[in-house]
Amino acid sequence: MAESGGREPLRRLAVHWSLSAHARRLLVLAVTGVVLAVLTRRAEFAGLAAPALLLLATWPSDRLPEVAVRIHLGADSLVEGVTAPVHVEIHGHEPFDARLLIEPANTVLASEAVDVPGGRSVRAAVLPVVPTRWGRYSLGLLMITFTDRYRLTEGTAMVQLPFVSPYPQSASLESSVVLSRLPSRLGEHPARAAGEGGEFAGVREFVPGDRQRRINWPATTRHGSLHLTTFSAERTQNVVVIADETSDVGEPGASSLDLVLRGASGAITRYLAARDRVGLIIFAGRLSWIAPGQGQRHWYRMLDLMMSTPGGWDRAEGLSRLPRAALPPGSLILVFSPLLDPRMVEALRDLRERGFSVIVVDVLNTEPPHDGSRLSRLTARMWQLEQQAVRFSLTQIGVPVVHWDGASSLDTPLAPYTRRVLVTHR
Amino acid sequence: MTFPADYSPTLRKRTGFGIAAAAALATSVILWSAFPLSTGRGGTRLALAVAIVAGVMSIAQLAAAAIGSRDTDGFAVVDQAARLLTALVKILPWPELLIIAAAVLEVLHASRPWHTALLGVALTGYLVAMHLTETRAGASVLRAQLPLLGTGIALTALSVGAAALPHFMAGTADTTIRIVVLVVAVIAVGLALPVWLGSSGSSRGR
Repeated sequence: MAESGGREPLRRLAVHWSLSAHARRLLVLAVTGVVLAVLTRRAEFAGLAAPALLLLATWPSDRLPEVAVRIHLGADSLVEGVTAPVHVEIHGHEPFDARLLIEPANTVLASEAVDVPGGRSVRAAVLPVVPTRWGRYSLGLLMITFTDRYRLTEGTAMVQLPFVSPYPQSASLESSVVLSRLPSRLGEHPARAAGEGGEFAGVREFVPGDRQRRINWPATTRHGSLHLTTFSAERTQNVVVIADETSDVGEPGASSLDLVLRGASGAITRYLAARDRVGLIIFAGRLSWIAPGQGQRHWYRMLDLMMSTPGGWDRAEGLSRLPRAALPPGSLILVFSPLLDPRMVEALRDLRERGFSVIVVDVLNTEPPHDGSRLSRLTARMWQLEQQAVRFSLTQIGVPVVHWDGASSLDTPLAPYTRRVLVTHR
Repeated sequence: MTFPADYSPTLRKRTGFGIAAAAALATSVILWSAFPLSTGRGGTRLALAVAIVAGVMSIAQLAAAAIGSRDTDGFAVVDQAARLLTALVKILPWPELLIIAAAVLEVLHASRPWHTALLGVALTGYLVAMHLTETRAGASVLRAQLPLLGTGIALTALSVGAAALPHFMAGTADTTIRIVVLVVAVIAVGLALPVWLGSSGSSRGR
């Protein structure tokens, strides 16, 4: 088969033909009947075999050893928990019905088998799959079973489905933390300074040079002198999201690393949607970062970086001193971390000393296992106190720490900071 | 993992009906071939036990395939028992065993041609019901096979007629020849019919 340009290529698969379960049973009935008829010399047993023998005689002879298949994903990018279509095209084998079944990988949900009737030279089907975890893995195996008109023979072909890299599912975040001091760049957040925005700021007396179209006539009538309406300036803010990937503890699927990635993805999506400039720092065995930017392409770059695909800058040493290039002055820093790595805690202290406004979203939802013995309980208690001390010390230097369980919306823990502007302390 | 089984009400009803039909036919086959037990020769009870076990397991196999077995990874007793039961149901070709056991039960009784012919019809019906339920296909797929099934049943009737005339050709050699001729006739019709069906199908296509 010719391959059409710009599409996934056709793949030729070997088809292994065998008896169907139905044919096997018919064969057993036929052989049993004939053998018993001969052995017992009772003619009626030959009649027992007759219907089965007749059905078996329709065994198809035009079985081809190969089939051409084209497989492509119906989505540009996959997100965990979101259904994605897998398109399958079968070229040839018109006389045979086909049944398509995905044997999914451990982290994938697949639909039941899809039946594709024969009769056409090119047949297409769509099989939905749901990747349940972020990461990089194959979706599984596609098993194609061809059956003839009488369902006597089965041809099986298998092909590995493509490797995919589903992004983590973004945590829900409807509100946003806005700093009191915003850089002089046009955006959508009302600033304290007066400007050309749409948000009402106040009424003041007219001075020569003011625009006449802003005269507030009710106030002017009341006071007997010209007054005009003032508006807030609308500014953008720089947001840097720090994802702490140094530790991964907890239940798979809801571990600290899962929550870090989902939370960071949710924050990035929310702030980019609000036209803010968003940057990302991955705090793992080495530092990787992308300086703040805007737009859909930037979103993909950051999520690719989160999935450990090289695409930004990186550095292996000096983890506790975050790079200046990734941190524009006056940025809001949102940190998603279980706060288990002392280097992360040290980096947060350093950020605060450099005058940044930092909010830490604590994603630690598990404790070390203990067997209930006195010593074990004591150890667990010490560990808890140590964790509390870390969080308390951060709060004391002006770094609020909020806890997120991963199940609720991010709005809940961030509510105290999203209701009003976050005053910047230097 | 697959999505939870999401059958449409029609499909669910059809599957349930298919399992019920297969169970009813399996029960009929066993009862028809085994009774009366008193007239059976030695080994009848053993063959009946095998047939009952095979019948029950074949229906369990069918139900398990229709419901969709769920892989359990747990180490709890319930999970282990479920795994063992599923493996037991899947381990043997139970329908084939039922066919053999029913035929042996029939052999263990005295010659009764019409009885055997009805057993053959019931066995064929059981296999068709199993097949339709397994493939979740409608009864309409049988339309293409109806001429074959009809011819097969006609041949069964022919065999009953041949067997019901014991004095027409008596003697061991004659009986053997008669059976061989019958088998050859069945095979010949089986080979000729697809050719005839194919040619009539192609002429319809033109």
